[in-house]
Amino acid sequence: MQRHDVVVVGAGLAGQRAALAAIQAGREVAIVSKLHPLRSHSGAAQGGINAAVGKEDSVETHIYDTVKGSDYLGDQDAIEFFCREAGPTVVEMEHFGTVFSRGPDGSLARRAFGGAGFPRTIYAADRTGLALLQGMWERLGTERFTLYEEWDLTDLVVREGRVQGIVAFDRKTGEFEEIAARAVVIATGPYGRVYGRTTNAHSCTGDGVAVAYDAGAVLKDMEFVQFHPTALLESGILITEGARGEGGYLKNAKGERFMSRYAPHVLDLASRDVVSRAIVTEVAEGRGFSGPYGGYVNLEVMHLGREMIESRLQEIVDFSRNFAGIDPVTEPIPVYPGQHYMMGGISTNLHGETSIRGLFAAGEAACVSIHGANRLGGNSLLETLVFGKQAGIAAAAYAASAPAPEMHASDLDRAAAPLRAWSSRTDGEDPSALRTELQQTMERYASIYRNEADLLEGLRRVRALKARFARVRVVDQSRVYNVNLTDALEVGHLIELSEAIVVGAYARTESRGAHARTDYPKRDDAHWMRHTLAQRTPDGPSLSYGPVTFTRWEPKERVY
Amino acid sequence: MTTQESTIAATFDVYRFDPTKDAAPRYQRYTLDVPPHTPVLSALLRIRAEQDPSLTLRYSCRSAICGSCAMRVNSKSRLACETQVGPEIERNGRVVVEPMRNQAVLRDLVVDQEPFWRQYDRIDPHLILDPRHPMPEGVPTSMSPEQVEAFKETPRCIACGACYSACPAVEADPGFPGPMALAKLYRFVVDPRDSAHQDRLLRIQPGGLWTCLRCHLCTAACPKDVRPSERIRDLKEMAVRAQGGTENGSRHAIGFKDNIRERGVLIEAKLVRQTSGVAGLVGQAGQGVRIYRKKPEILKTPRKIEGLDEVEQIYRALDRPAEDGQ
Ligand SMILES: Cc1cc2nc3c(=O)[nH]c(=O)nc-3n(C[C@H](O)[C@H](O)[C@H](O)COP(=O)(O)OP(=O)(O)OC[C@H]3O[C@@H](n4cnc5c(N)ncnc54)[C@H](O)[C@@H]3O)c2cc1C
Ligand code: FES
Repeated sequence: MQRHDVVVVGAGLAGQRAALAAIQAGREVAIVSKLHPLRSHSGAAQGGINAAVGKEDSVETHIYDTVKGSDYLGDQDAIEFFCREAGPTVVEMEHFGTVFSRGPDGSLARRAFGGAGFPRTIYAADRTGLALLQGMWERLGTERFTLYEEWDLTDLVVREGRVQGIVAFDRKTGEFEEIAARAVVIATGPYGRVYGRTTNAHSCTGDGVAVAYDAGAVLKDMEFVQFHPTALLESGILITEGARGEGGYLKNAKGERFMSRYAPHVLDLASRDVVSRAIVTEVAEGRGFSGPYGGYVNLEVMHLGREMIESRLQEIVDFSRNFAGIDPVTEPIPVYPGQHYMMGGISTNLHGETSIRGLFAAGEAACVSIHGANRLGGNSLLETLVFGKQAGIAAAAYAASAPAPEMHASDLDRAAAPLRAWSSRTDGEDPSALRTELQQTMERYASIYRNEADLLEGLRRVRALKARFARVRVVDQSRVYNVNLTDALEVGHLIELSEAIVVGAYARTESRGAHARTDYPKRDDAHWMRHTLAQRTPDGPSLSYGPVTFTRWEPKERVY
Repeated sequence: MTTQESTIAATFDVYRFDPTKDAAPRYQRYTLDVPPHTPVLSALLRIRAEQDPSLTLRYSCRSAICGSCAMRVNSKSRLACETQVGPEIERNGRVVVEPMRNQAVLRDLVVDQEPFWRQYDRIDPHLILDPRHPMPEGVPTSMSPEQVEAFKETPRCIACGACYSACPAVEADPGFPGPMALAKLYRFVVDPRDSAHQDRLLRIQPGGLWTCLRCHLCTAACPKDVRPSERIRDLKEMAVRAQGGTENGSRHAIGFKDNIRERGVLIEAKLVRQTSGVAGLVGQAGQGVRIYRKKPEILKTPRKIEGLDEVEQIYRALDRPAEDGQ
């Protein structure tokens, strides 16, 4: 058995920032990650990170934009704190070594992003996430900590309402181990692989969220799923908003810049949910293109000219050429909305505290909530750093006075037993077939536009998959790097989280932010200005509701 | 995109090896109908889903940004997620998929990257600050776009290891840091925030910088166009300019340059002494004797070539401070 003061699960930006904060607070820290830290999905973020540092901009406007963007479901105390931390956070990352793009005067370069009042998105070419992840890992590398690289979390041990540690296994040997901890921080990132078309990596399977949920942690606002309007048609790879920020625009099959019908003022720079729904509507009403991968619209950047495209939008050029065989300098890029960001997650306050003592969460796995019903581009990288740090500080403070954790041999057996059973079956369900069916189900019944009948059917199907998962079978018998086993583990997590999404969406009989019910098209503040809280029971999620914190901004209709 | 896509029947010969079970590696053949622009990674994942879930590989982002899926495709080290099947079939008739080289195979296409990361750690991959010049309080360091340009493409590195796999110097000398670590070193040596430029150059010279053979295979392999071999060349230049000859490699380069300036041709015996010192001369005496037997003129100092004044002019021009700011 291993023992640590603080165990951070996940080594993306949130996990690394949490680890650094806990180390700086004097605790002994271990990081557990199924990927090498530099391979975390944070590295895929392209567009940038928000901070109101420009002379014409202000923290107040950033707060207001975030509150409004959240469709008034964001907690305003958390949003205020968050936006005030933005400037210092970006400066800190610069000091850690991040190589940002610069303006002619040597300052941090900024670009315009959807839903923002001013150009306030600081970037590093179109690989901001990679630049931040490198800077963070370089800084963290100067500290002492234990790294469990390519280890998978499988269980969280909670006794008498307190976290005692985790169970995880080493991919390279297949060995399980109990890792006792006074405090645990979950920073395992998103679960976009619930959907078929997603901008998220294959590894984004919500493991930490599902494991915490299983251990009794409360999840918040799971029904709020953001779709990015411009995912590459076939692969779902993201074409950044930066493309539109730099002057690109969307056109339908009739050659119309259709955004003028949906957001007459800001057009293509409207907030993501607005643009996504516009594209779905265009295609549904017959004004889109169609092809073997379904309906789509065109994103055009050709008019910006080769030089500008190749210097400012390099990754987009590479993506289009390498993954779709399209040259954006001369051809339009076929796009359709794909799942992009999960507003929901493990419910926390602004210190990363969850409903379980000693359990903390941060980053996309958590829900504070600052994004409310809809996240603004550039706010989530910032969230990983701001609340990663807070969670690290809080976990360190808790660990300093928490009693020594108590783990038993039975904890390991309980965690390992089901996985061993999967491998000893001679007949059963194939994990990748279950995953494909789940993704098709969620895509069809619980994506951008929702209604009661679809959600009920979606729920029925997800539950059928859950029943089938009980008979899942791992064919591969090797202990070394068994991807078949991790596939099974991950699809189990995806199924649990899908159920929470669908149940939350079915219950919320209104439309708000990214949650669009065609049968309840209006926002309903009287009934629904509240957070959905979900707790696991053997019969599925049990829902309750919690208040939204207001400070200074009264709800208004959200128009762009 | 509006027409139904045509597919090709592609043959994949995939390296399979589980050291805990198998006596020796083998190749397993799979066939699959795929549209030609299908990435090799997608094809391998389809094989996993439809034919053989035990086929083992690393992958995550499927968009050439996480660096997980580097492997050899038809002998070239590259990312499976951005290598399309069609051109490989056209070129080679089939797609041979193998693990990266220079790293032990853990299983099938998954290699042990521990040595690669150790080399990365060895170059002190973090800013080293001068306590006398702390970072400006609460504001970002000022850095001009030109200073950012000076990093060249090194910030694009995704640490996939393709360059490490392609590098013959790593194969010959596992102590060589390899292209990725050296490109990373360059990134710190040009960073205006870092205060240890000189020290870094000095420390990397023994058994580091000069082992590079200048074959440029790393640059050919790099999926992100980081061009490690060019940055290694830059590091060599900076090391020599900053410190003169501290190493056999740099002394060799300097001796070479001085010989040509002096006579217009190499003065071979002198070059050995310049490179390896007197001790080196003694050490290489046996070889020297053998060469002398075949080529007695080797010990004579060659005559100056005609037009040495033109050579001198070239040197003068090169000695002038570079205006492009490197
Ligand atoms: C394509 C794309 C572009 C984006 N662009 C932007 C942008 O421009 N601006 C912006 O603000 N936001 C952007 N986002 C969102 C933002 O990148 C993410 O919200 C953020 O990076 C999430 O960071 P994280 O640290 O929470 O999780 P991640 O970076 O996903 O890290 C998760 C970590 O958890 C580990 N892990 C997962 N499961 C387990 C397990 N079972 N056991 C052990 N470890 C585990 C992983 O190994 C990984 O280290 C983008 C997202 C995508 C997908
Ligand atoms: S899967 Fe990430 S680089 Fe290929």
